[in-house]
Amino acid sequence: MKWVTWERIGIDRMGCAWLIQRFLDPQAEFLFIPNEQMPLPEGYEPFDIPGVRLSHRRNHCTFHTMLSEYKLDDPILQRIASIIDEADIVQDVTVEPVAPGLDTICQGMRLISLDDHVAVEHSQLIYDALYAQLANERRI
Amino acid sequence: MTTWLLLIYKVPNEPSARRVYVWRKLKGLGAILLQDSAWVLPANSRTREKLQWLTTEIKDMEGGVATLWEAQQVFTGQEDQLVQQFTGQVDTLYREILSGLAHDDPDLGALSKQYQQVTLQDYFHSALGERVREALINRRGAD
Repeated sequence: MKWVTWERIGIDRMGCAWLIQRFLDPQAEFLFIPNEQMPLPEGYEPFDIPGVRLSHRRNHCTFHTMLSEYKLDDPILQRIASIIDEADIVQDVTVEPVAPGLDTICQGMRLISLDDHVAVEHSQLIYDALYAQLANERRI
Repeated sequence: MTTWLLLIYKVPNEPSARRVYVWRKLKGLGAILLQDSAWVLPANSRTREKLQWLTTEIKDMEGGVATLWEAQQVFTGQEDQLVQQFTGQVDTLYREILSGLAHDDPDLGALSKQYQQVTLQDYFHSALGERVREALINRRGAD
């Protein structure tokens, strides 16, 4: 499948791309377009773009929306959604100490990556590591 | 020269929960309301992303109208004033932490959490923030 989102990706879009590749569509192809560019290209599933199906929903990030749209009820993924919710959206209640750190790393990832495709590729390792550690904590 | 983001919006008076919701998000970002009309924040990747989504959210509300602008000031003197306003805002919060530290047996965990939250709004790196940071670190491991 082909997927499209706005360029210069951050924590939520990197997380969504990881989720897509690992859990939904291993052959995923990504396209990154300038902010606000309209119309959206045909034949691509848009994500994390205002107004589309896979987008923010009141106080929740797009990663969270993707979990409910694709009925992924893995508790580790739910936990990652809660971390991205705190990093990506201004919240008055915060319970995830990982959130600001992950946000900083994802912003830096964008700075050291040649383009968004490279950023997606590199961030896989970070999200794999996050998933592994959260799974590990649950087992203890 | 700083690039600023301006959010101009309107949300119906009722239900009031929605107005409060938007207001709290803006206060949480440390935005400043100019002349009761436009909310302003310095532009960076974080503020831009957050305000874009807030704008979308307001537009999705029934009767909600919002436009987001990127702007630069024409007179630089005004800019200094605005920067001072942002710094003054975080300095007030930093001073609260310092006076908390002056108490007998301060709650260091709560105060350091508070410090971390204030730094997220400290867009112009207030010198007082650095002092608070040192004061907190110096209390580490103290009796």
